[in-house]
Amino acid sequence: MKPAIDPILLEVLKNGFEAIADEMALILMRTAHSPIVRDAMDYSTAICNARGETIAQGLTTPMHLGSFYDAMNHLVTTFAGRIKPGDVFIGNDPYLIQGQHLPDIYVIEPIFSGDRLCAWATTIAHHADVGGLVPGSNSIGATEIHQEGLRLPFLKLVEDGVENKMLLEIVAANVRVPDQVIGDLHAQVAAARAGQRGFAALLDRHGPDAIEAYAEALQDQAEVLARQAIAGIPDGTYSFVDHIDGLGEDPQPIELHVKLTVAGSEITADWTGTSAQVKGGINAPLSFCKSNVYAALRSVMPGDVPNCHGYTRPITVTAPSGTLVNCTYPAPCGARGITGYRIIDCIFGALAAALPEQVAADGTGGSTLPSFGGMAGGKPFVFSECVMGVWGATSTHDGQSGVPHMGSNQSNVPIEMIEADYPLMIDRYGYVADTGGAGEFRGGVSILREWRALSDDMYFGVRSDKSKFPPNGLFGGQDGAPAGTTILSGNSQRDLPPLPTDPETLSQGDVVRHVMAGGGGYGDPLSRDVARVADDLLDGLISADHARDVYGVIFADLATAAPDLQATAALRAELRAELQTGATT
Amino acid sequence: MTDAVPPTPGYRIAADIGGTFTDVACLSADGQLITRKVPSTPEDYAKAIIAAMAEISAAGGDTDAPLSFDEVLHASTVATNAILEGKGARTALITTEGFRDVLELRRIRVPRLYEPLYEKPAPLVPRRLRFELAERMDARGNVLKPLDMAEADRLIDQLIETGVEAVSVCFLHAHVNDTHEAALARRLRERMPETFISISSEVLPEIREYERTSTTVANAYIGPPVASYLRSLARRLKESGQDGRLLMMQSSGGVLDVDSIIAKPATVVESGPAAGVVGAAQLGARAGYSDIITFDMGGTTAKAAMIEAGRVTSTDEYEVGGGISLSSRLVKGGGYALKLPVIDVSEVGAGGGSIVRTDAAGALRVGPQSAGAHPGPLCYDMGGEAPTVTDANVVLGYLNGDALAGGSVPIKAEAARLAFETDIAPVLGCDAAEAAYGVHQLANITMMRAVKAVSTYRGRDPRDFTLFAFGGNGGIHAAMIAQELEMRRVVVPPAAGVFSAVGLLFADFEVTRSAAFLSVLDGPRAERAEDILRQLEAEVVAELDKPGATLRWSADLRYEGQAFELPVDLPRDKPLAQALEEITAAFEAEHKRSYGHLLDGKAIQAVNLRVLGAIAPAHVATMALEARNPPAPGTTRPAYFGKAHGRIDTPVIRRHDLTETPVPGPLIVEEYEGTTVVPPDATAFRDRFDNIVIDLGQGGAA
Repeated sequence: MKPAIDPILLEVLKNGFEAIADEMALILMRTAHSPIVRDAMDYSTAICNARGETIAQGLTTPMHLGSFYDAMNHLVTTFAGRIKPGDVFIGNDPYLIQGQHLPDIYVIEPIFSGDRLCAWATTIAHHADVGGLVPGSNSIGATEIHQEGLRLPFLKLVEDGVENKMLLEIVAANVRVPDQVIGDLHAQVAAARAGQRGFAALLDRHGPDAIEAYAEALQDQAEVLARQAIAGIPDGTYSFVDHIDGLGEDPQPIELHVKLTVAGSEITADWTGTSAQVKGGINAPLSFCKSNVYAALRSVMPGDVPNCHGYTRPITVTAPSGTLVNCTYPAPCGARGITGYRIIDCIFGALAAALPEQVAADGTGGSTLPSFGGMAGGKPFVFSECVMGVWGATSTHDGQSGVPHMGSNQSNVPIEMIEADYPLMIDRYGYVADTGGAGEFRGGVSILREWRALSDDMYFGVRSDKSKFPPNGLFGGQDGAPAGTTILSGNSQRDLPPLPTDPETLSQGDVVRHVMAGGGGYGDPLSRDVARVADDLLDGLISADHARDVYGVIFADLATAAPDLQATAALRAELRAELQTGATT
Repeated sequence: MTDAVPPTPGYRIAADIGGTFTDVACLSADGQLITRKVPSTPEDYAKAIIAAMAEISAAGGDTDAPLSFDEVLHASTVATNAILEGKGARTALITTEGFRDVLELRRIRVPRLYEPLYEKPAPLVPRRLRFELAERMDARGNVLKPLDMAEADRLIDQLIETGVEAVSVCFLHAHVNDTHEAALARRLRERMPETFISISSEVLPEIREYERTSTTVANAYIGPPVASYLRSLARRLKESGQDGRLLMMQSSGGVLDVDSIIAKPATVVESGPAAGVVGAAQLGARAGYSDIITFDMGGTTAKAAMIEAGRVTSTDEYEVGGGISLSSRLVKGGGYALKLPVIDVSEVGAGGGSIVRTDAAGALRVGPQSAGAHPGPLCYDMGGEAPTVTDANVVLGYLNGDALAGGSVPIKAEAARLAFETDIAPVLGCDAAEAAYGVHQLANITMMRAVKAVSTYRGRDPRDFTLFAFGGNGGIHAAMIAQELEMRRVVVPPAAGVFSAVGLLFADFEVTRSAAFLSVLDGPRAERAEDILRQLEAEVVAELDKPGATLRWSADLRYEGQAFELPVDLPRDKPLAQALEEITAAFEAEHKRSYGHLLDGKAIQAVNLRVLGAIAPAHVATMALEARNPPAPGTTRPAYFGKAHGRIDTPVIRRHDLTETPVPGPLIVEEYEGTTVVPPDATAFRDRFDNIVIDLGQGGAA
């Protein structure tokens, strides 16, 4: 029999669960070693119930939220009867354990009350390197997963309290930067242990029956609130098509098709029509696809919906097997993050028609992921970071620049830290004028970053996008400027494709310049408040020519950005008339 | 604790200047404490202090002559408000070529998940006032491109023509080599003598360009308003015949002369919350409690901080104006980074004014929306439309249903009861008292997260600590929060409702200096570190300008490869090179305690070195508080303590009705400054320092 649920104790326990997940996140960040975990914060923590469903997630990476369940379900099923207190599990493989991609390693500790398995303290972190073709293990050019590095099924990293040193030695031998990888794994173990301790204290206090019943009630509560939010979206079918620029030197567009069907309190995302899986490391396993659909839909729900598995119950995700969003063995997935970002963008694109005030125009489509590698001081080094990010405009304000993609709340790496630790210099980091998609509200302006190689024979690879299909505007807003990566070597310069499949080699003094795409605009640029155009001019975010050509604003004095209102009105009328003519002919 | 200097005769007065009220506390050399709460006077903050001084003179002086105060200490939100309200100076920023947007790009991360409509805070310096100069150092401080002074002069011409009130400068790697910044600073000060100049290598010589830029900019932005506020305050006090020394509380918990504050105003941004914590450390220690978690609950927020072995826990990861955020260490980006020592205060959006509602799924919610002081709770009858935590406390009988603050705030209990009966209880399927008890519990749960953030999140067990409660609502909630966390003891100090003002009277006079080091601490490098520390110490001693200071050395340490440091004390009494083992042991103990594990075989790196100098205020042996408008003897009222205890007819008493002999709860202690609730299964007594000590009869961890 289920105990009666006291709504107050439910709230008390919900807070308790969340506090534990946050504490885990904090410990992981503080004790991690690689820039991608400790500075960029590409990791997540969660408490799951005995079945592996998330009860609470730490304030970390949204696109990881739904990512625990499939792997956890696999773990619970395969190890049934062999899960003991004091065990810690490790695993990473998308096909063997329903994981994410090889760099994302799970470290998971079961939580017991006596000999009853009650919950799991789970962590997932993006490791600096897991071997494979290229430093950072995110080769675009991989054609099968066996080229991507070390594959781990679920294994016991700690059994009965004793760490398996041999397993760690295998890991260390197969990665380029063992100090960072082993350091980060230990940080994950410490975080999982903290989660185990915190949750065990709750079990002691309230008893496993009550904790289980209340955790279930929390799932039910999340479901109720999620259903209410979905019911608030007008019933109907909303379709959207987005693109990834394509692979290699001659990129062919890769299409993502989504059909969102809202029926009452349920919603289905059907990815039929999406391109087939590709011979390149950007394929997404279905678990990752689901995870991103959940994260996108979560963001149009009210803030107080608990971030637990229950809110996903009214959401169905279907995708044909063998496609980019439901890849099958042996498709490579090292750089599949880009596909996750695009999945979220597709959902927003589809929702724009249903909820025009709740979504922003298209943004940069996620982080650009440059990787550098080579030897420094006789030791191998790998440096990857997430360059972010630009958002599209909304119905009430300009797009933001210098923000993460909604799917992954990550940070930049301090320039002074990079230059202290790696043979790299950052030459420039800042905004680029005239790149935000024009609109009544302007898309965010592009961000540029330049890395200078300080040693020879340095590997460089990059995962980027939006140079062929820049972020679209909404409701009359224009597209943002396209992205691009250029290598400057001496007096020559060479543009790279968005997703190069061949590794580049940099020599000392070579500079890699990356410009992200600008965000899409929202609404008619000719309706933009002249004062906002003037502010943009003063702040160097647009040029006077751009103000005139795109916004129809003429300035009487450029230094003070005093507008010539009469000339502006005349020009705007003229441009509107041109548009009308253009539309009718 | 620091060595005390001999007591000075006369009076010291302290004012905690808030947006709505100014709390004032005056202490005589013989320990008489007089407190007042007066409305703040934002048009001229000195007015409220001068008025309170007159009142206190009348109440406390032996003669008709106005009292003369030897020291006037104060804490103020002037710096924070300048940032929150966007009313700081028109500030320019000069950076290394290529990096003028570092300030606005921040660390990218945003404080909230799942919010596509989020907007970042506007930068304190708009892009049009951010300028670049060609110059460059590498990470070791080698000059790659010299600073061109002719170009700098042209930029200064432009700044003079544009008309700015403050200029901040942050060049890359200036924490390693400050020559370019120093050269530019000299020229700026020469050519713009009236302009506030803020230089990164002077304000925060530490690695990480965004945090250093942001701190330097914030310092510039608040420089002119803080200076004009402090100068006007000093002038007004002088005009009113007070020529005592004027001191201000810093975020770190030490006070400093206003001239020093004017030179580096970024140190006073969290002036207000610091005072109460320092008071708790000092008064707690003298009453025998050196391990304390403070709990400061007001109308809109509750704050917690930790005092371990008598020492306040500090951090330098802080954002001003980030909104209320418990996990400020995890969720950044909502405010303006300020990387200077600040008492580690965690804050949650729950207070007496937090609004109570039920959501679509029938769940009870408390806050974070607040009715604040205006319109306030329903029971204040000042236009409030929704029930609040204070209304719940009235329904429960914890708060006087007729009037608060010794009769000065009338209460309309019926309004509170009606709201719970008709709006809240039916949704939850219980009666009004049970619903109000639920609200009380939920507010406690939210506030417990603030307590946990400074304890369990840092590897500390709250059961090893005493909960030290103050603020207008602290005494009402503290005991039950302590019970939930299995803490053994709650202390409610005298004048708890104006305790921040009291705390100011006990703060040390304090100066800190830091320098970047960023290298493994081994033999030869330990000698270099010691040279730097001696240099910093000389600067600290020069600024303190007084004998009798306690000096402390510390370093921010981490395992090589980590990105976050832990502060560890360094010995001053022997060569550092000979103390490496003990330093390693201290770091490992702290790492183990904070994170639960060690990394064997990893080298330990010192990121920053720091010297702190402190001089304690004159020692006061005992402290006596005047009592005003106490409840009549023999008063009781029914109070509800949950299903287990039900409604109990509870004695309502004065602080002085308690003795050193513990008496069992339930009890309600009513005072002018606030109310303290002692629950049924606890006992309470009054110690010889007039603290109410609530013993919760729980085992605790030890």
